[in-house]
Amino acid sequence: MAAAQTLLGPVLLLVACFAFVFWPQEKLSAEVEKTRLDYLRERKDVIYENLRDLNFEFRAGKYPEEDYLQQRTTLEAEASTVVSEMEALGG
Amino acid sequence: MPHPMPSFGSFSLILALALCVYSLAAGALALYAIAHGKPLAVPPERLRETARRAGIASFVAVTGAAVALVWASFTNDYSVAYILHHTNRDLNAAYKFSALWSGQEGSLLLWAWLLAAYGFVLRVRHKVDVTLSAYASTILAGVQIFFLLLLNFAAPPFSIAPGPVANDGFGLNPLLQYPEMVIHPPMLYLGYVGFTIPFAFALGALMMRYPGEKWIHITRRWTMVTWLFLTCGICLGMHWAYAVLGWGGYWGWDPVENASFLPWLTGTAFLHSVMMQEKRGMMKAWNVWLIFATFMLSILGTLLTRSGIVSSVHAFAQSSIGNWFTTFLVIVFVICLFTFFYQRDHLRSENKLESLVSRESSFLFNNLILLAACFTVLWGTLFPVLSEFYDGSKVTMGPPYFNRVMVPVGLLLILLTGAGPLLPWRSTSFRAIRRNFVLPCIAIVATAIVCMAAGVRPWQDDDASGGIYALVCFALSAGVITAIGAEFLRGAGVVRTQSGRNLFSSGILLVRRNTRRYGGYLIHFGVIVMFIGLAGSAFNQSKELEMSFGDTIQLGNWRIVCQSYSQDSNANFDTDFALLDVYHGNKKVTQLTPERRFYTASQTTSTMVAIHSTLARDIYIVFEGRNPDTDRPIIKVFLNPLVNWIWIGVFIVILGTGIALTPPLLPVARRVEVPTAAAEAAHA
Repeated sequence: MAAAQTLLGPVLLLVACFAFVFWPQEKLSAEVEKTRLDYLRERKDVIYENLRDLNFEFRAGKYPEEDYLQQRTTLEAEASTVVSEMEALGG
Repeated sequence: MPHPMPSFGSFSLILALALCVYSLAAGALALYAIAHGKPLAVPPERLRETARRAGIASFVAVTGAAVALVWASFTNDYSVAYILHHTNRDLNAAYKFSALWSGQEGSLLLWAWLLAAYGFVLRVRHKVDVTLSAYASTILAGVQIFFLLLLNFAAPPFSIAPGPVANDGFGLNPLLQYPEMVIHPPMLYLGYVGFTIPFAFALGALMMRYPGEKWIHITRRWTMVTWLFLTCGICLGMHWAYAVLGWGGYWGWDPVENASFLPWLTGTAFLHSVMMQEKRGMMKAWNVWLIFATFMLSILGTLLTRSGIVSSVHAFAQSSIGNWFTTFLVIVFVICLFTFFYQRDHLRSENKLESLVSRESSFLFNNLILLAACFTVLWGTLFPVLSEFYDGSKVTMGPPYFNRVMVPVGLLLILLTGAGPLLPWRSTSFRAIRRNFVLPCIAIVATAIVCMAAGVRPWQDDDASGGIYALVCFALSAGVITAIGAEFLRGAGVVRTQSGRNLFSSGILLVRRNTRRYGGYLIHFGVIVMFIGLAGSAFNQSKELEMSFGDTIQLGNWRIVCQSYSQDSNANFDTDFALLDVYHGNKKVTQLTPERRFYTASQTTSTMVAIHSTLARDIYIVFEGRNPDTDRPIIKVFLNPLVNWIWIGVFIVILGTGIALTPPLLPVARRVEVPTAAAEAAHA
């Protein structure tokens, strides 16, 4: 009786784990291969966020105007390159 | 006679090991087959799913083992050697629960359980990126295997004690019978263990040549939560050392304290430098190595705590598991090194550092300083071990070595904490510097003058260096707080213009719009408040006296008068305590009762410090025992300025991290016309 009590817990745990691991699943999570376009979308989001930050900091008075314009031009050029490539890829 | 719960616990650990081995093997095979298009007997996607589920099931199995050990503790099952050695019948419930991490085997089980719990969350949330999560899950299974091997073969927590079952246990170490000890180790372990997740994602992203920086977005919350746990764990440990060990301090550069500080330093460096990768695609290789190093330092910390290779009040007994940890560290390092060299072209930087005065350079300097601090602490911690190994002599690297290097390093960090956020990305003009730095500089000078006027004149002291550093710390801190305040005010001003709200609600909206940035500023503020508290230690005073009834200790304007001594006892311990009146000038402020306890089960003595804490200072009194010649009680009184600032700073850091972890309000969409390269070419 005592031996049966000792075995009950481990056996239940073993069966539950085995069933959980190998129980057939109808739908598997879709595999999404990350494309160059996905990567460019992420880059575009980052650059736009950088632009938003820059504009905010300029309005907050952290940058003199010429520094702001210079940085904004650089970021816009980066955005332009990314958007062009996205358009070329049909994004 | 069989022991049902210990048997269940042992079986759960074996099952967890088997599940993790399956998770690693099936996961690696499936990922290899998917990456190289190799056919398998079962579809690789299905195999990968079983690997994920095995990882989830391993959490259930390890939970079973942890529950079995806690059950054994609460039911006084002294057939289990671990329970026999770390509990006794009269221990209160909270300490019986904390027995889970009071000894070597139990704390390793806690490690394994927390790792499995983190893995559970990672595997359940795998849809954020199925493939990357599968890589991370497989790597995590490898780490889990190591800890489960230890628990099954090197330090089994369910070993049966030889001979007849004892009627009572040997009791918990008295130093651990303190409320913080119930939460300090789990917090610290949550920090140590948590770095496994960003490590697994970083290594996985490198193995699969993951395009872009999305893995950083995925792991950002993991890293911040982990960092917060480690910070809280370290600070709880400091508070425990302060309130329990009775030496009047909170940080003694003990090897085990250092072991927890090392991954904190590299983890902090990672949290900063990773922003450069997110924003500008820079420092990719650096970041990968920072997180590798952070994980390895977490393992090294565990090795130092458990192997007995360093002497410490915190270290567990000498044991053979040090070899296991060393082997694991070597394996991890080789895998990291191989993967890095094999995939290093994937880590090419997209941009270069354009100016030495820019936000990027401030991050870089911040990283270099944190790494210098890390190397200093690592060297000071390992040097005694290395010197003993080399020529047999054990050299001690005490607080003077660490303070000589770490105090200037800390001051440089304060400076960068203030300067970094004021510098623009890419490059900075002189006009921008002048515009942003005037106020903080005025605050620095003004604070230095006010401090000196208030009597902080360290050059008049015999040992001037501590006071000078403290003065510099106060002045720089004022500069940083001004810089942070100015950032909030400037931002709130912009929001007020946009929204027409008042300044306060504009400030709230500002924080909600950019929780990461302003939560980060609040963390900086909390750290500065902590630094102010740490600097207060330069002005500590203490006095020790054999005190009879009516005797007095005078410390500055404070007077401690002995009223009486008394005794008490309960089932767990006997206590001897002093009743001391504390006066400031002629006004009685409070009565304190420092204790000396004798724990019956473990036959050991421990001190319970009495502290009267205010924002300005702590009166800290220790009942050190009785003079064996005169039998008179020895009382030691400390006057420790600004200690409370450290604990307040920790709360601010927790608040700031909570804000930084909160998702921001979505920005209002505005159409911005950006000419494409093609359009520009057509226009030209």
